[in-house]
Amino acid sequence: MSVQVLIERGALAPMPSHGWPGAGAVLCFEGVIRPEEGDRRIDAIEYEVYRPMAERVLESLARQAKEAHGLLAVRVWHSEGRVPVGACSFRLEVASAHRAEGLAAMGWFIDAMKRDAPIWKRICEADSPQRAAP
Amino acid sequence: MSFEVLLFGPYADAAGARSVSVEAGEDGAVRAGALLAAIGEQVPALRPLLGGARLAVNNRFAESDDEVNASDEIALVGLVGGG
Repeated sequence: MSVQVLIERGALAPMPSHGWPGAGAVLCFEGVIRPEEGDRRIDAIEYEVYRPMAERVLESLARQAKEAHGLLAVRVWHSEGRVPVGACSFRLEVASAHRAEGLAAMGWFIDAMKRDAPIWKRICEADSPQRAAP
Repeated sequence: MSFEVLLFGPYADAAGARSVSVEAGEDGAVRAGALLAAIGEQVPALRPLLGGARLAVNNRFAESDDEVNASDEIALVGLVGGG
């Protein structure tokens, strides 16, 4: 499957990359929860996902990235629910013949996702979970 | 006509609810732009948060002139923070 979107509860488990035929570059970006959000120490981030639309939007963006940049494959993972500090909440894997198009596609996809995907995050501090400022 | 709008994230927090019911349009349909304006008029708690907000209708972003029916699944999408 050349385009795949997976929304999973909690932190994303590590996965090996597939060997994509013809790929000279397989790029993987992982978004990891940092221990600070601004000047606040946090324990975790909770992701709220409008799932049916998020899956549709992410798949659409992945297909757009694949077509526009001539990619061989795109896979997207995103967490739903609580993800602790240090764990992965987002993964983007891109396979391409050469690195240039893969790197360009990754930047484009992440910007578009942050603009359009119906996913919200709530910062979990030790004593008071609160919504992240937009 | 009454339109149910699903709320998530900061919208749900501000409204204190997972959805709001908004009166708009005639004959069971309204333009998306008008419905968004009606949300701001009828739900004061959401008014300050509507800059940049968009309506999603049946899981797709709606353009301002798109027709929205009361039977559609409608959601307020904005202030997102994925990735």
